Amino acid sequence: MDGDDDISGQMIDEIYANGGEETDQRSRRAIMSGDQLDIEAYAALYSGRTKIMRLLFIANSSKNPTVQLDALRMAYDEIKKGENTQLFREVVQKIDGRLGPNYDMDLSWCEVVERKAEQKKERLENELNAYRDCFISFQTNLIKESIRMGYNDFGDFYYSHGQLGDAFKSYVRTRDYCTTSKHIIHMCLSTILVSIEMGQFSHVSSYVSKAEQGTDPLDPITISKLRCAAGLANLETKKYKLAARKFLETGPELGSHYNEVIAAQDVATYGGLCALATFDRAELKSKVIDNSNFRNFLELVPEVRELINDFYSSHYASCLEYLGNLKANLLLDIHLHDHVETLYDQIRHKALIQYTHPFVSVDLNMMANAFKTTVVGLEKELEALITDNQIQARIDSHNKILYARHADQRNATFQRVLETGREFDRDVRSMLLRSNLIKHDYNIRASRKL
Amino acid sequence: MDPLEALVAQIQGLSSSSADIARLHTILKQSDDSLRSNSSRLSPIFSLIDPSIHSLGFLYVLDAFTSTSVSNQQQAEELVPIITRFISGCSVEQIRLAPEKFIYVCKRLKDQVMLLEAPIRGVAPMFTALRKLQVSTEHLTPLHADFLLLCLLAKSYKTGLSILDDDVFEVDHPRDLYLYCYYGGMICIGQKRFQKALDLLHNVVTAPMTMMNAIVIEAYKKYVLVSLIRHGLFSTSLPKYCSPLAQRNLKPFCQNPYIEMAHTYSTGKVADLEAFVNANADKFESDNNLGLAKQVVSSMYKRNIQRLTQTYLTLSLEDIANTVHLNSAKEAEMHVLQMIQDGEIYATINQKDGMVRFLEDPEQYKTCEMIEHIDSSIHRIMALSKKLTATDEQIACDHLYLSKVGRERQRYDFDDYDVPQKFNI
Amino acid sequence: MDLSAVTAALESKSYEKIADICDNLMLQVAADGAAFHNDWPYAIHLLSHFYVHDINSARFLWKTIPSSIKESNPEVNAVWKIGQQLWLRNYGGVHEAIRGFEWSQGLQDFVAAFSELYTKEVFQLLVSAYSTITVEDVALFLGMSEEDASSYVLQQGWTVDYASRMLTVKKQPVVTEQKLDPRKLQQLTEYVFHLEH
Repeated sequence: MDGDDDISGQMIDEIYANGGEETDQRSRRAIMSGDQLDIEAYAALYSGRTKIMRLLFIANSSKNPTVQLDALRMAYDEIKKGENTQLFREVVQKIDGRLGPNYDMDLSWCEVVERKAEQKKERLENELNAYRDCFISFQTNLIKESIRMGYNDFGDFYYSHGQLGDAFKSYVRTRDYCTTSKHIIHMCLSTILVSIEMGQFSHVSSYVSKAEQGTDPLDPITISKLRCAAGLANLETKKYKLAARKFLETGPELGSHYNEVIAAQDVATYGGLCALATFDRAELKSKVIDNSNFRNFLELVPEVRELINDFYSSHYASCLEYLGNLKANLLLDIHLHDHVETLYDQIRHKALIQYTHPFVSVDLNMMANAFKTTVVGLEKELEALITDNQIQARIDSHNKILYARHADQRNATFQRVLETGREFDRDVRSMLLRSNLIKHDYNIRASRKL
Repeated sequence: MDPLEALVAQIQGLSSSSADIARLHTILKQSDDSLRSNSSRLSPIFSLIDPSIHSLGFLYVLDAFTSTSVSNQQQAEELVPIITRFISGCSVEQIRLAPEKFIYVCKRLKDQVMLLEAPIRGVAPMFTALRKLQVSTEHLTPLHADFLLLCLLAKSYKTGLSILDDDVFEVDHPRDLYLYCYYGGMICIGQKRFQKALDLLHNVVTAPMTMMNAIVIEAYKKYVLVSLIRHGLFSTSLPKYCSPLAQRNLKPFCQNPYIEMAHTYSTGKVADLEAFVNANADKFESDNNLGLAKQVVSSMYKRNIQRLTQTYLTLSLEDIANTVHLNSAKEAEMHVLQMIQDGEIYATINQKDGMVRFLEDPEQYKTCEMIEHIDSSIHRIMALSKKLTATDEQIACDHLYLSKVGRERQRYDFDDYDVPQKFNI
Repeated sequence: MDLSAVTAALESKSYEKIADICDNLMLQVAADGAAFHNDWPYAIHLLSHFYVHDINSARFLWKTIPSSIKESNPEVNAVWKIGQQLWLRNYGGVHEAIRGFEWSQGLQDFVAAFSELYTKEVFQLLVSAYSTITVEDVALFLGMSEEDASSYVLQQGWTVDYASRMLTVKKQPVVTEQKLDPRKLQQLTEYVFHLEH
């Protein structure tokens, strides 16, 4: 995600180590220079389908043709290692000959892969059918396990060929044949993976809780995976505070074990930004800055660590600068891109609120400076926050000063009392009228009956 | 002797004591049919009897006389002075013996002055009539609505206001209340008493009802617009004590353009709102609500300026003009000045710097005047809550009510009538 | 038609009572069935509403005036012109409308009284709404020449910067009665009693 050259495997190994001064300096420089995303380093963080999808997302979102072509080339290479001919055709169409003869349509490859697939499917079907026939006569656990594996193989098969819906159904079917809690966990993780790829995040949440409901204790890696999946589901449904909590609870054991879904760097970025946008100062301190678990993740993305520290120590200009530099790359992230604007707005609002909080009066020129904006622009931002009652202050636009406003409790009470009295007056009167009407109506009906 | 002459003689003879009047009443009841069949011969009688002494007899004769249809202006011209004279002179005790007849005669007066296209001629008599008829100012007579209608037609809005300050509780017929509140709402709108208008229209919209009627729908339309003018917003959810019929039907009936206008208002964009009103001018016009809709638009300028007072201590006229979409700083200055004049904001304009300084409400709740005001509010509320308790007890003892709820419930709870808990006075 | 009550109020300069007197009288006359429109003192009636700041009632009254009268009676029109300017809050326009007509004997004093009242009220408005204002605008608001306007406000303690022709407003301290009557204590006791029972 950042501009470092050697971010790949080595970085992940560093997860247990504290990021030294040196890495810090380097990445900082890279960000300050506003470097473009190093796609190769980025892609190396992931494996499987997400790697391809992330590359394709970058190719679609980036406005830079070099970046687009780089991403497409890597996606092409990656797809060819697998069996998804459908995706292959799409990528070739997108490349459209721009990468020379080596990246053209390869029909013979497609044919071979598809023929093999056909055969494999047939074999899987035969095997599964055989086991199922058996199961009708001999309901043993051994046969049950074979059926489970059969469905699981089918899931894997469909997944690798890009038929996500069928893959999901196959994995779900294994459920009836699970005999151990390990099987259940496996089933859940498989369905979660497919659901994430399908963008069905409600499925993700429900299978995460299913997995967590199990009686047997889970291993730390699985727990971390589930936290990440839950974090993603909350992020996508805009529950940023919950997302932050889940990412913050992710253990360092995660390492690169879940790189078919998420990289440790992402945990730091997603979690850090969501926390910044939604946590109050105390939470930020206790759950993020003093969180030794999470610190391991933050070391991987020093600029996020720095901007959180800047925010907490009220160095807003620096914090906002980091955010500004990160933005272009975050917009290329397959999960975060939709939420960047909202999160950035919330972070900025919080910064503005926090900045004004301790003061009786604030010089708008200085504040605009701190927030890298013009006084006019700042006035508009503050206006919105005051209207929303998020800041209790008023702007002296003439002298460009913001004054804190302390509500006069006594006057406010009088005002409220009179208003309440008026409401009571009105409500009781119209209630008495209504009750008289009901009584009248009832009496008429009663007299008709007589 | 002609039976009519005999009756006149009895009317003249039996007017001195209450026993006489009671006897006369019996006779009159028996003669009602013959009076009606002789209605064409009745007019000379009016010069023989005195409306103030022979009120009951006069009323019966007048009732029979007016029961034939009057359709030309000449007849109306003849009838109106008789009824007017009767209303101003009649004795309260006597007419209350036959209230239906009195109401009928008064309603005929209303019809006649409308036929004559001179509603103003009915305003004062109708006012006298309703005061004579009502047992107390809490009593809503069937004449209230007619009085207000005449006020509206005669454009005597100020006169109409005079009875709207009474708190009415006793109602004879729901329709009386609907019309009273609806016309009352219109009068208050005309006099720009929007809060009062809102309260009245609220009563129509939330009144118990078993059938949809046009009055409620029209009231709801005005209710939406007045809410926007007064409060700057309209909540489409009605209170839960509102009839299910109103809950279900009012919104769809008034979706376009009323509910949509409220949506447009909520965006806070004057230009959009103005465009909306222009695009729907025909619909507002046909509902006679175009003027009100335009007032909604101008209220938005005010509301947007008011919002600025919550945000700014000082702001340039230029910025105000830009923010609330006025054409020039001078126009903004005039708006601010008007609002200061109307007590809607507290501010001072500084022409030298082209700035406005917004001030806090100077009310400190310390003056004798304010204490008087608070005091009278407390008195009012104490009186109201006493009334509430009394009504509660009365209902709790009402045998019809008790027979309905049966014996399983000992006492009637306020909660059923949705008294907010916080008002536990 | 007996207009003596109106005349009496005019003579005693009880201008603020005239609106109610006229309103009630009109209803009474109408109820008596008299054809009153041609003789009704519409100009006075309209003006009486202005005098008590009831422009709404003035507008409604204007709408009921028969067109024959509107066409034949220039003075009624002239009064209504004042009303239109009031309605539009065109402060300068009000003064112009007042000056722009040769008022009849019967109306002269009433118009003059209204003009005086209006000027006084606009001045109060300027005091509460402005901290600084140009001489030109004050003249417009008060319907005076710039010289007269300056001397009028300088008498009230305002100050002027001749170079920029800008006046600085002198605020008047607001005096309000804050003394409390001992009877109030008695009432307070009653409230507490009410709350407890």
